[in-house]
Amino acid sequence: MALGTRGGWWPGLCVATAGGILALYVLLVTSNWIYLGWHDTLYFFSKSRMWERFWLTVWTSTVSTSFSLLVGIPAGYALSRFRFPCRHLIASIIDLPIVVSPAVVGAFLFGITSRFPFDWISEYYGIYIGRNVYGVLLVQFTVTAAFCARLMKASFDMIPTRFESVSRSLGASSIRTFFKVVLPMAKNGIIASMIVVWARAAAEWEGLMLFVGATEGKTDIMPFAIYLDWNGGMMGWVTSMSIVCILMAVSAISAMRMIGGRSNVW
Amino acid sequence: MKLIKNLLVFQMIALSFLVIVTQAYGGEKSLLFHAGLGQRMALNEIKGIFEERHPDIKVNFSYKGSGYFIADITRSKQGDLFMPGEEFYLLQAVERGFLTDYNPQTDIPAYFVTVIITPKGNPKNIKTIEDFAKPGVRVGLGNPRACAIGIWHEKTFKKAGIWEKVKENATMSAKCIPELGNAAQHRAIDASIVWATTAVLYLRDVEIIPIEQKLRGIIRLPVGVLKFARYKEEAQRLMDFILSEEGRAIFHKHAYAVNPVIPVDQQGFCLDGTTDQDMEYLVNAAKAVKDESFPVNEKTVGDLTEEVLRQKKTTRAGD
Repeated sequence: MALGTRGGWWPGLCVATAGGILALYVLLVTSNWIYLGWHDTLYFFSKSRMWERFWLTVWTSTVSTSFSLLVGIPAGYALSRFRFPCRHLIASIIDLPIVVSPAVVGAFLFGITSRFPFDWISEYYGIYIGRNVYGVLLVQFTVTAAFCARLMKASFDMIPTRFESVSRSLGASSIRTFFKVVLPMAKNGIIASMIVVWARAAAEWEGLMLFVGATEGKTDIMPFAIYLDWNGGMMGWVTSMSIVCILMAVSAISAMRMIGGRSNVW
Repeated sequence: MKLIKNLLVFQMIALSFLVIVTQAYGGEKSLLFHAGLGQRMALNEIKGIFEERHPDIKVNFSYKGSGYFIADITRSKQGDLFMPGEEFYLLQAVERGFLTDYNPQTDIPAYFVTVIITPKGNPKNIKTIEDFAKPGVRVGLGNPRACAIGIWHEKTFKKAGIWEKVKENATMSAKCIPELGNAAQHRAIDASIVWATTAVLYLRDVEIIPIEQKLRGIIRLPVGVLKFARYKEEAQRLMDFILSEEGRAIFHKHAYAVNPVIPVDQQGFCLDGTTDQDMEYLVNAAKAVKDESFPVNEKTVGDLTEEVLRQKKTTRAGD
């Protein structure tokens, strides 16, 4: 529907609002970039520390996302298709990490890692569980696994069950049906969810603050590093890393749109 | 089918990374050092030197806000060394029995000193503590329940007899010191009192004004070996290094006061001019970063030379 042809002022207002939101975010980025200045942009973007942190963020969130997917796809499928005892209870418990602050997740992880058998393992090998990059992965996984299952359930919910029934009636086993029929149909949803989950993992900070703490070069993923440098008064690092984070988010979302095309999750 | 194949490849790549990382973590004694965020710059330098001299020992920091540590240690019962931002937090650990042999006479590598900061150009012309009571001055205070600087604000202004008036002027209740530094940097407040170590991070964007001796606070920064330290001996060695002349000198480069004896009264206020020289260096450092023609050398800014050069390198501070 072309603007202004019918419907008077209402569509115009809606589009203007959308434009306003866009303008706000563009303003946020540009004003900070102006604050940073061209000379400093070159300086900070050419520092290896910036790209080490970037790389750390990318690979930790990639690993934790892949584990989340391993768990999330079957779990989401189960929640979407099968009727089993305590289904609603499980569904609501799985939702918890989305509702509860990641800080709580971080605090609760102490409960697991300081008990048998983990205390024994850490004693035997002389390591501190959760104080290194595994802690980062653990926090990211704990926070995103539920999120992932939730999104997968939404993706599978969009696919009519008729296709599965037809496939089963033609003699395919349920596992064959899942891989040959359901998964390809849910492809867009899965890719879209994957990128959302990845972005969520890359943005994790509160849980890390409580559970892991920062060791420079080992556990300081970008959002955490921004906090560290903000505390050290290094506004140059803070601003330039925030810009990298925003660019990372924008490219992740555009990648999702290009690869995944239209999906119902987003 | 292609999707599944892609996913599998993706998984394999992810797992292989994990293996690489696992190998990188094996076979060395690594100390877990709970250290306050504010000490990051100085401690990273110390870590560098210490690891070079003891190749078999690795120092792993767990930098957090100091307020997070007590909960962390209570839950995890992990860690070798503990160096929170203020003695206040260490005493909490002593109280709970996490630290058994803390001695306030010997275990203090460095001190914080209070200074006044104002935004660049000092718009409200703040010269002394008394100026905080002038009407219209937006004062940034710390929350005494969240950070030690809040307790010191109250102490200082009460001693000066202007606490009630300053409370009326307060426009901000910060939960940690960097909040005050940032607020001054972005002109959200007209004046505040912070540690010299915080002020020195914002040389380009704030003015630093030393406080007269009888209102200048000296705050201990202690370090201790935790009771459940896994490598007690190694931890003790690192602690000794921090307490040595050489370790202290590193703290001095970041605007801590490191004189072994600073005479203070019961409340912790300065009694003589031991820290005057440091204050002069600090004021000069703030001038040097803003003014290109100001000479930067041992005579003008003392041990702060590196800090000044770091901040002169870029408009927005980094390293």
